[in-house]
Amino acid sequence: MRVFELMSKQVESITPQHNTRQASKKMRDMNIGSLPVLNDEKLVGIVTDRDLVCFVVANGSDPSSIPISNIMKRDVATCYEDDDIADAAKVMQQHHIRRLAVVDHDNRITGLFSIDDLARGSHKLAGIVLEAAEAIH
Amino acid sequence: MNICDIMKRNVFFVRPNTSVREAARLMHDEHVGVLPVLDMEDNKVIGMITDRDICCKVTATGRNTVMTTVADVMTKNVATCFNDQELTEVAYLMASHQIHRIAVLDKDDKLAGIVSVDDLAHRSHDLASTVLEASAAPAH
Repeated sequence: MRVFELMSKQVESITPQHNTRQASKKMRDMNIGSLPVLNDEKLVGIVTDRDLVCFVVANGSDPSSIPISNIMKRDVATCYEDDDIADAAKVMQQHHIRRLAVVDHDNRITGLFSIDDLARGSHKLAGIVLEAAEAIH
Repeated sequence: MNICDIMKRNVFFVRPNTSVREAARLMHDEHVGVLPVLDMEDNKVIGMITDRDICCKVTATGRNTVMTTVADVMTKNVATCFNDQELTEVAYLMASHQIHRIAVLDKDDKLAGIVSVDDLAHRSHDLASTVLEASAAPAH
């Protein structure tokens, strides 16, 4: 089975210049937990609801004054739409992560592929990824 | 197998009057995404607060993180299970409530532990994936 059969194709994104409060509003309104960060349509990072809590709220910063570029994870693990889901699962497993940005060959984002998506395709692969992940309870 | 065989026993928790900033600090320092909220007097679980609750109800709204308390933003009436329940039963409970973590209570209704979908995966890939699949909104 290929990634494009299971991935979510509606991708909301944000820029490095937006502030973290704007990111949290977007995550709330769109009912999502992560946002790819794009600069001139190029993928430069990813930010999650958990990042906002750990890197902004926990140290008492004002969310309106912190740009996304300060807290985003720059090293984004990616896969291609036509990758086999077993290969995508392996990337998640090796990096101890639960979602991948799906990109085309120009590094433009076309979707996100999460462990929930993976579970719809293979219980076994999703289980292996969960076991490998560092548990965040 | 019972849920008490796989649950985490040393659970970090907060009180209703704990500030959101303090809860966030605990989530960061202890690498947890959810904290049970225990009543000041009888130690019963009166709610749960997640990193997502803080993102959606505090950061997004611009509320003050010191003045806002856990009680203001926690989820009340959360699903719980008991420590003598079967793994399968608890997994279906989690799936039906679309949650990835659940508080485990002892026979006196006191917090005994917490179980996540990760813990389930160590015993059964099928059960863990059933819980993941049930999440209505994909956890992107």
